[in-house]
Amino acid sequence: MNTKTALVADDEPLLRDRLVAQLARLWPELTIVAQARNGREAVEMFDEHNPDIVFLDVHMPGMNGVEAARCIGRRAQVVFVTAFEHYAVDAFKQGAIDYVVKPLDEERLADTVARLKERLADTPVAPPADIDTILQTIALQLKAQATPQARLNFIKASVGNSVRMIPVDEVVYFRSDTKYTLVVWAAGEALIRKTIKELADELDTEKFTQVHRSIIVNLSQVSHVQSGANETANLSLKGRAEQLPISRSYLHLFRQM
Amino acid sequence: MTPPSNPSAVSHGTLKTVLAQLTGRRVAATLITAAIGTLIVSPIFETPLLTLLARAVPIAMSLLFAFLWADQWHGRGIPKWAMQIMAMATAAPLATFLAYWITSGGLQGFIAAPARVSGFFVITLACILIGIPMALGTMVRERDARNHSQALDLALAKEQLERQTSDAKLALLQAQIEPHFLFNTLANVQELVETGSPRAAPVFKALIAYLRATMPQLQKKTATLGDEARLARSYLELMAMRMPDRLRYEFALDEDVLGFRFPAMTLLTLVENAIRHGIDPTEGGGSVTIGAHRDPSSGVVNVWVADSGVGVQETSTPGTGLANLRQRLVVFFGSGSQLEFSEPPGGGLRVDLHFTPTTATA
Repeated sequence: MNTKTALVADDEPLLRDRLVAQLARLWPELTIVAQARNGREAVEMFDEHNPDIVFLDVHMPGMNGVEAARCIGRRAQVVFVTAFEHYAVDAFKQGAIDYVVKPLDEERLADTVARLKERLADTPVAPPADIDTILQTIALQLKAQATPQARLNFIKASVGNSVRMIPVDEVVYFRSDTKYTLVVWAAGEALIRKTIKELADELDTEKFTQVHRSIIVNLSQVSHVQSGANETANLSLKGRAEQLPISRSYLHLFRQM
Repeated sequence: MTPPSNPSAVSHGTLKTVLAQLTGRRVAATLITAAIGTLIVSPIFETPLLTLLARAVPIAMSLLFAFLWADQWHGRGIPKWAMQIMAMATAAPLATFLAYWITSGGLQGFIAAPARVSGFFVITLACILIGIPMALGTMVRERDARNHSQALDLALAKEQLERQTSDAKLALLQAQIEPHFLFNTLANVQELVETGSPRAAPVFKALIAYLRATMPQLQKKTATLGDEARLARSYLELMAMRMPDRLRYEFALDEDVLGFRFPAMTLLTLVENAIRHGIDPTEGGGSVTIGAHRDPSSGVVNVWVADSGVGVQETSTPGTGLANLRQRLVVFFGSGSQLEFSEPPGGGLRVDLHFTPTTATA
């Protein structure tokens, strides 16, 4: 039986050491040809060493384990190592994809080693053909968990020498100036480059509404509306002196129910 | 765009408002009182009861109108209740005089009849004796109703705040006992123990300190900034064990701020956020700085956590911990406290917290 080779990828060095040490006990003939600290390194080292087996931590900085596995494809036997990715574990189970759970249980790892040996025997068993479809689903799910939505949640504005990140929930209103947009929040105001139109598209419409060609207001900051002449109205804000105009086309938003 | 869920009332002129206040209940009460008053004083008069009533009704209505009109008074100097009494005291003789003038067929007919003049005084007096106590009674009742509704509003606001606080606690609870953190940390500790590393003992100590603080501290109300800094240090020691090549950290807290009361878990929330969303996503890692300084002249304390990680995009979602943070600060330090997010020159995220310390327990 010729010697098998493996690559281990985990961003936590102690956990790499531990897996390598356990593999050495359970499978002394296995050669660890490389150790990677993230998904990108894992793929690069894989291309260089072409190992038979790849152990991939699911959660790694930059490119994660699932994305790395997609790059490697069916060229190696992949075993995922995971601490607690609920969704991933369920998906691995369903897709019959090998995985081990941290902290590593030696018996469980021994089972995995036995299975790997079997698959890499004289008549090797290739990884399942649909592996990429399964991995793609998992990768998308992991990504969705990391970035739940692409809504505007902070407004980036220069205040003096610093760049402030203003949570949108704190913004009272936006008012367009000739060239810039004035953003006003409880503790200050600043000019930003985003236009009222861009903001109207990006802000959560449940919380913000346009009341005038040049004004978007945070609905939770409105105290009351006073009607004026010619089908116009002024809007008063909670705890603030200034009033904002509402133009005719937006007035219906504030009519009594 | 969605219409606001609570459209505000559009205000009208004073007259409209007064007319709107002229409810059926008020008019009825005024008319009944006028009728009873007329019945009481009628034995003094020779005038038929119906004529007396015909005079009494417009007089009583004018008094009600004066009362409601003065209710719109928002000026300074004179309190509203005094304006209302004065308006009624002025309206009583005026309205009575007018009523007599009209029913007597002019001024001459009125002055020429001494019975009518004395009737004028009797009715004016009756108006003041009946009308003003009635007005005072109304004011007291309205004040009680207002107090009651204010008390209700206050109770509602308080309940809301308590609910938000307990929600924040719950979110924290879930965030703290995060299995991913715990199992990864334990896996690292296991390796240290099995290889007989001398680092195992101090790491265990940090883990125990972290677990002890994150569990019962939820019920503890009197943490100090010093306690919170120790907790943050335990957490960073654990994370530095896990990512030794990627994490550097530094504490820069002035000695004189450590004794100030500080909301439990707040500093930890900021530090965890810096690791999870700042340092951990980067291949190369970075540094976290925790600092605190008290401005000697204003007494305001500034606590900050800065990281050199990936920073915040405009579309980044603030973590549950961060979202609740401001609420917790307001509950703890009052509305004067501030929470600011900024991007340091080299990138990353800096969170500044400004507050006026409540009490020093040191």
